[in-house]
Amino acid sequence: MFETAIFYCFAAVLLFAALRVITARNPVHAALYLVLSFFTAAAIWMLLRAEFLAITLVLVYVGAVMVLFLFVVMMLDINLEQLREGFWSYLPLGATVGILMAFEMALMIGGRYFGFSEAPLKESAAGYSNTKALGRLLYTEYAFAFEIAAVILLVAIVAAVALTLRRRKGVKTQNPAEQTRVRRADRVELVSMPAERDR
Amino acid sequence: MVDWILTRPDAWFGPVWGPAVFDTTANLAFIVAIVVPLLLCVAYLTLWERKFIGWIQIRIGPNRVGPLGLLQPIADGIKLLLKEIIVPTQASTQLFFVAPVMVLMPALAAWAVIPFAPEVVLADVNAGLLYLMAMTSLGVYGVIIAGWASNSKYAFLGAMRSAAQMVSYELAMGFSLVVVLMVSGSLNLSDIVNGQGRGSFAAKGLNFLSWNWLPLLPIVVVYFVSGVAETNRAPFDVVEGESEIVAGHMVEYSGMAFAMFFLGEYANMILISTLTAVMFFGGWQAPIDSALFNWLPPFGWLALKVFVVVTLFLWFRATFPRYRYDQIMRLGWKIFIPLTLAWIAVIGIWMQTPWSLWR
Amino acid sequence: MLAEYYPVLLFMLVGTAIGVVPMALGRTVSLLLGTHRPDAEKNSPYECGFEAFEDARMKFDVRYYLVAILFILFDLEIAFLFPWAVVLNEIGLFGFLSMMVFLGILVVGFFYEWRKGALDWD
Repeated sequence: MFETAIFYCFAAVLLFAALRVITARNPVHAALYLVLSFFTAAAIWMLLRAEFLAITLVLVYVGAVMVLFLFVVMMLDINLEQLREGFWSYLPLGATVGILMAFEMALMIGGRYFGFSEAPLKESAAGYSNTKALGRLLYTEYAFAFEIAAVILLVAIVAAVALTLRRRKGVKTQNPAEQTRVRRADRVELVSMPAERDR
Repeated sequence: MVDWILTRPDAWFGPVWGPAVFDTTANLAFIVAIVVPLLLCVAYLTLWERKFIGWIQIRIGPNRVGPLGLLQPIADGIKLLLKEIIVPTQASTQLFFVAPVMVLMPALAAWAVIPFAPEVVLADVNAGLLYLMAMTSLGVYGVIIAGWASNSKYAFLGAMRSAAQMVSYELAMGFSLVVVLMVSGSLNLSDIVNGQGRGSFAAKGLNFLSWNWLPLLPIVVVYFVSGVAETNRAPFDVVEGESEIVAGHMVEYSGMAFAMFFLGEYANMILISTLTAVMFFGGWQAPIDSALFNWLPPFGWLALKVFVVVTLFLWFRATFPRYRYDQIMRLGWKIFIPLTLAWIAVIGIWMQTPWSLWR
Repeated sequence: MLAEYYPVLLFMLVGTAIGVVPMALGRTVSLLLGTHRPDAEKNSPYECGFEAFEDARMKFDVRYYLVAILFILFDLEIAFLFPWAVVLNEIGLFGFLSMMVFLGILVVGFFYEWRKGALDWD
């Protein structure tokens, strides 16, 4: 009963935040509402007993991915007029995706009427930790998929570096290693000259 | 009498909502019991900072308000309360006031999972350490939002610097926490503390040699220095370097709004110190298991350790000159991350051998 | 399990309140008791003695994005390391080696960015 009340509180916040993500005029506000919706979504996962996933959602999406989003929308001088121009041409695609998602959600919520049975929530023993349960499987049984994740991350690292790294010209950076390696001969040249007389 | 009080929620709110109301009240009481002393500690940490740095620089420090200057933090608080809160004309007003809250909230909420003594912890959650990581990663938002909402160049520069620095050192912190997890095999902070009380040295009563700091020596240093960088304290305080960008993201804030940033920073310092004590220095355990050391209660030992570590923060500030930004990033990415990665492998291999200390 | 997280939720609410209440208090008290004389100069964004030329929200060095992207990738790596570290004593040599391969692949990426100079600030 109490849990249900808490669920509805979070669900209301989540719906509101998600609506504001698409209706907010300022992209920074929209990104911050997205942060809020991730956070409440994590809380709802927690209500489903997905302890590890819920906190990881906050750690990775709220703590890392959204920071990048904010960096981008804050610093990229986005021209709002230009963004709005494409609205009508993107509408068919967007609407299709939206309708598909709405259909899937309807299936989930009304599953009972369509003949899918919902799995009941398993109440687990006191010492149960789903981080441990995940760990026991992920690194042994699913080791192959796990290594593929590493390769995907590697590709992402290489792509990020290749796409964004630009060398700027004319920077006055100092290289301490080079500075200490310098020998006298590189800087000073001693020239012997015959002494001259004034008179 | 006690029974009468304990049955009141059920009597007033019915059997469905009664337990919920009881739970909420009990938890809120515990939270107040954590937060009020914490805020007092923050207030007196500012005084201790000024006194301690004063002594290091052969000055007296604050000594005018009250005996030994003991009322100084209260005077400061009243002054900040009375000061006008200026909102810059071009700022986004709503976000301008959201930012301080976003700094303070994670710094306080992280305390929910800290064990203060055996069995004395507000939320004894399984994934305590993960929760702490998530909360510390939220701290960046306050800084970024403050910089952007102020719409001032100094604030914006400071916020960007700070965000990049904080996320870099969060990685080093995360990796060093992984090493702690490997040896303790649990995300629960109480378990981590208890795990440090086992071992051949602890069996002889020499607890302090069984704590994590000894086998994980480089990691303690990495963790603590990353903590200093994460809280933007000297010598990593380019974020608010007063000689170049004035006060960074806080430049437009005044009065109580500024006080919230201040509170958040000091609460974070105490939090990092507590975590260092809990994860590497045995939390509430006494260093030697004998009657001489056990007269101080467990909570006293934790407080003592936290005090020593927090004083290190101040000592750093009084001792080291400020790092340059490229040096900060080099230290984080090129020294700490490779070092912690290597140490994960070292401890991992050690645990696979028969000489593993952590069975 | 949820009973243990309820105090965490309450603590977040209390933390928010501790941020909001003093600021609201500060605004009212300073209006009532303190001096309050706004003027155009005082309320303008801080600059070194001149009017702000332009909006402060400007384009920024691409290096900051790179740091943010790399942070995401390494944060994911940490998310993968956490469950592994917790069960290291139970999954034996195979589990240990599978993580070492994972880290080995990512160290390649780390070396790549290092050699490319993505970690240098100049």
